[in-house]
Amino acid sequence: MSESTTIRKQTASAERRLGPKIKRILVELPVLQALVLLVLAAWLLISIPSIFNPRSVTSLLLIASLLALAAMGQTLVVILGGLDLATPGYILFGAFMAANATGKLGLSPMLAILLTILVCGGIGALIGRICHRFAVQPLVVTLGTGAALTGATLFLADGDYSSVPHDSLRSLASLRATTFGLPFPPIILIVLLLGVALWVFLNRTTAGRRLYATGVNFRAAGLTRIRTSIVWVLVFAASGAFAGLAGVFIAAYGSGWSQTIGDPYLFSGLAAVLVGGTIFGSIHGSYTRTLLGALILTLLSTIIVSNGLSEAQSRIVFGVIILAVVSLYGRERHVRNRF
Amino acid sequence: MSRVQQLLQRWPFAFALLLALVLLVLNLLISPSFLSPQRLPATLSTLAPFVLVGFASTPAILSGGIDISVGPLATFINCFFVAILIPAGLGNWQVAVPLVLLLAAAIGAINGVLIAVLRLHPVVATTGMLFLLIGLSLTIAQNPIAAPDNWTEVFAGSVGIIPGALISIGAAALIWFGLRRTAFVSNLLATGESDISAFGSGVNTTAVRILAYSVGGLFAGIAGIALTAIVQSSQSSLATTYALLGLAAAVLGGTSLAGGRGGLLGALFGAICIYLLQQLLTASGVAPSLIQFAYGALLVVGVVLGATLLTPRLKKVRS
Repeated sequence: MSESTTIRKQTASAERRLGPKIKRILVELPVLQALVLLVLAAWLLISIPSIFNPRSVTSLLLIASLLALAAMGQTLVVILGGLDLATPGYILFGAFMAANATGKLGLSPMLAILLTILVCGGIGALIGRICHRFAVQPLVVTLGTGAALTGATLFLADGDYSSVPHDSLRSLASLRATTFGLPFPPIILIVLLLGVALWVFLNRTTAGRRLYATGVNFRAAGLTRIRTSIVWVLVFAASGAFAGLAGVFIAAYGSGWSQTIGDPYLFSGLAAVLVGGTIFGSIHGSYTRTLLGALILTLLSTIIVSNGLSEAQSRIVFGVIILAVVSLYGRERHVRNRF
Repeated sequence: MSRVQQLLQRWPFAFALLLALVLLVLNLLISPSFLSPQRLPATLSTLAPFVLVGFASTPAILSGGIDISVGPLATFINCFFVAILIPAGLGNWQVAVPLVLLLAAAIGAINGVLIAVLRLHPVVATTGMLFLLIGLSLTIAQNPIAAPDNWTEVFAGSVGIIPGALISIGAAALIWFGLRRTAFVSNLLATGESDISAFGSGVNTTAVRILAYSVGGLFAGIAGIALTAIVQSSQSSLATTYALLGLAAAVLGGTSLAGGRGGLLGALFGAICIYLLQQLLTASGVAPSLIQFAYGALLVVGVVLGATLLTPRLKKVRS
């Protein structure tokens, strides 16, 4: 009898040790997201086996990488505890630079990309400065700046939406492009490399740790002599620059642009961040998660559309997936546990 | 200066009120007939959806959260009424009004449950709801469907001498006024200021939050009716525009996104400012793209002014 008690005790303690451990792994690593991604990929393969050919896989990856690039800056802002609603404005400006500036005005593509990064990054830096200096919510400032940037870009474009991006830009993001002779467009590689760079930045550098610290507790970070104003300025500048860059590639991918080219990427980008499991102002956020989130959303919408459902119904599924996935791991503590 | 500042701090909406008055004067200078009795009902009815979506955003913000799904909820109600209720023969107001408002409040309550019971972050919960509602509206009515003659036209015109828009705005204001007579609004403000303190002093913060989002949903439902009145068709494409407009109106009116500070009057004046600015620029023949620019710039300037003049308190807390 005493033996069985010991065994029971041992198993109980093992469970106690194992339980939190599993929970910790689930919280710290995006295991669940990877599983969801695998299930979706398997589902897609079973329902339409013909999709497994290089061309279709490349196009899926291409769409996912554009979404991931658009959500890159949003990830950093969400880690900081904010929300960047200026994304459509940046994307529109990037698309304008890609299409009208290189196509019609004959600006060199390199210069257009640099200008986009400078302008969007500069506007982002200004947003960060204003938000930090006056202690206002980034939500409203980015909303206003995004509207202003959209208006200014449309004014500059002056009704011309027929320009086509320069060939060299299109060769970076069109489906038939090749990278070093391999049959996939360079944009996939670019996003992958940026993802690795961001992982190194967030996890292996002091600056990355400072970003997390500022997001988790603004005041405590300030007291440990982190210059939070610089963190805010740089994060919003990066958000603007990445979104502008995304706009350049989105226009290059679509071989043109329209007034509303940025709109779908605001909430879809946010959805990619949230489904990936990045939580507002928390250590549980990374760009790897957003990459997984973007892949999940792309696969999901492919499955939905291939099953004969409409674009509209894919939105409904998006909404349900966000709520379901985040309620699995993104719940906040109850008030009574926060005293 | 300090007296002005005190005034502004005492009344958070004072800045929006002053701005609205300045814009009104400018509007009258450009088109003197702006406030003439013949034009008033039409003017007010185009203003009503702005104001009501601003109202709908307010309770959630006061509770310390945020609801970005009110604009899509308003357009969903618009599509639901035009594309489902009217063809089903339930278009008469005795049936439609309770049905539509109940549905809107229920969707708001679902938001509240997701946030207060399931404890999702408000942005996450309402973004999920935003996708759901946009998807549902598009499923119901992909392309605009014209509505046959119906009772909502009242809100675009006038009843006797009363402009119809005053009835829809007034109904929402009356509901809020009624709630102010109860403990709900003070509990709501306490929850928004500090949910920990409110919970510690015995406020049922869960119930307060759910009710706040339901009231927001109810107002969004009224906004949906007011929207139907002016467009007389189903407009699923307006969803995101109104989502951001409502927030802008509430915040411009001095409602603090940190929660616990502000009210419906702020949203009213904020919405009036945005509307008057658009009217002013349209009337003076400015390109639509520049109107959007001016609207964005006004929002940023308004928020920064609000933060520097109205709430020096906040800065102390944060730095």
